[in-house]
Amino acid sequence: MTLAALLVQLAGIWVWIGVAVAVVFLTIGVGRIDEDARGAYVFRPLVAPGVILIWPIVLWRWWLLETGRDAWPLRHRPQRRFHGRAWMVMAVAVPLIFIAAMLARQSQSDLTAPVLLSPPQEVSE
Amino acid sequence: MSVKYIPVQWNPNKWVYDAIMVVAVALFLWIFIFIAPDVLNHNRAINPQIRNARAFGACAFFMLTIILMIGPLARLDTRFLPLLYNRRHFGVMAFFIALTHAFFVLDWYFSFTPINTYEALLSSNTSVTRLRGFPFEWLGLFALLVMGVMALTSHDFWLKFLTPRVWKALHFLVYPAYAALVGHVALGVLQDAQSPVMIASFGAAAGVVVLLHVAVALKERGGGGDAAAEAGEPGWEQVCQADDVREGFGHIGILASGERVAVFRQDGKLSAISNACAHQNGPLGEGRIIDCLVTCPWHGFQYDVTTGRSPAPFTEKVPTYDLKLVDGAVFVRSEANPPGTYVEPVPA
Repeated sequence: MTLAALLVQLAGIWVWIGVAVAVVFLTIGVGRIDEDARGAYVFRPLVAPGVILIWPIVLWRWWLLETGRDAWPLRHRPQRRFHGRAWMVMAVAVPLIFIAAMLARQSQSDLTAPVLLSPPQEVSE
Repeated sequence: MSVKYIPVQWNPNKWVYDAIMVVAVALFLWIFIFIAPDVLNHNRAINPQIRNARAFGACAFFMLTIILMIGPLARLDTRFLPLLYNRRHFGVMAFFIALTHAFFVLDWYFSFTPINTYEALLSSNTSVTRLRGFPFEWLGLFALLVMGVMALTSHDFWLKFLTPRVWKALHFLVYPAYAALVGHVALGVLQDAQSPVMIASFGAAAGVVVLLHVAVALKERGGGGDAAAEAGEPGWEQVCQADDVREGFGHIGILASGERVAVFRQDGKLSAISNACAHQNGPLGEGRIIDCLVTCPWHGFQYDVTTGRSPAPFTEKVPTYDLKLVDGAVFVRSEANPPGTYVEPVPA
């Protein structure tokens, strides 16, 4: 099996586990941990693709909320320093990527001029 | 907000926002596909399928570029705040435009492969050690995946369930995704494009995004508020002078822990609450008091300044701080009260 085939297969497994988690979470779990979701059903199919995509995080958050381990002060502490640092890296990375890619462009004039091939001559017997 | 969840919370402002966005997207695609193919000419002639793929791809790139510009623009100039208000719809639409691009690409370049289409996408080019001919498709796939995560976790349920902290951490993936998208475009379509218009517009767009974010980072290096000073009494910190706080407005102070406190004056009395909105951690101290409620400048979430609670039927809460005045200086207790705790306002 090639690496590409393996990745595609793993993606399929990820999705099927996600579907199972979404079914259980959106029918049983969400109402238990969020009062705003009780009696609200129309929004659930809308969030189902998100559950399928990030099901490990969903299971982790569900466990924290079910067991009362959620730390409320963290909810009010944004990671405010991350933006600045991330964009200092981006300020280098984005121009670097763009300029490097432009330098890698091939000049059309450097290419060998195309030659029109003539058909093979018929051989007379 | 904290009422029963519904699929999409519409209001007249969002209708107008979305209508303008849809018209702009349609106009962009129409110009790209029908009006300007000569301006956006490619070295080799392209067929309609490839042009459609490039039109949707370019549209997604510029949409994500604008999305990333809205945040810093709103920080630099409050007149851009209305653009921030409904940015999530912008992001969702950008994802679907990018997805359409991906389907056009798969349907043309990988349609006739004898192996699985996605397998072909991943295995057709594996020249990762070379810049020229780098598998730019992988970069696009990563960016699409991140845009998908962002779009599919944009409902208010996700903010409350994951908490703004985790939700934002997840959405920070948009930064590497944008870098990947720049690589996807530059190592992909721009390798072939001979039009200086295309190269200049993509390069300039990415450059403006970077410059805006760096400008904001430099502006906020100072903290965006007044650093607190220790008071004589342990556990209290001075955040500002009472005169610094105008009636109906807030003033942001930064505690030694890095926490930001928003001090508000209402009816001549001072109160202090957390500066981070419970919705998306918007800067409450940059908002003002409307109808006796502190109003977040980002999305309009409101709180009673004495309790940190949203008015019924909403249930959002932010922490409050004990506050006292000493010779005209405003001191708050270093430790916040649990969200929703009533604190008696102090006349000043």
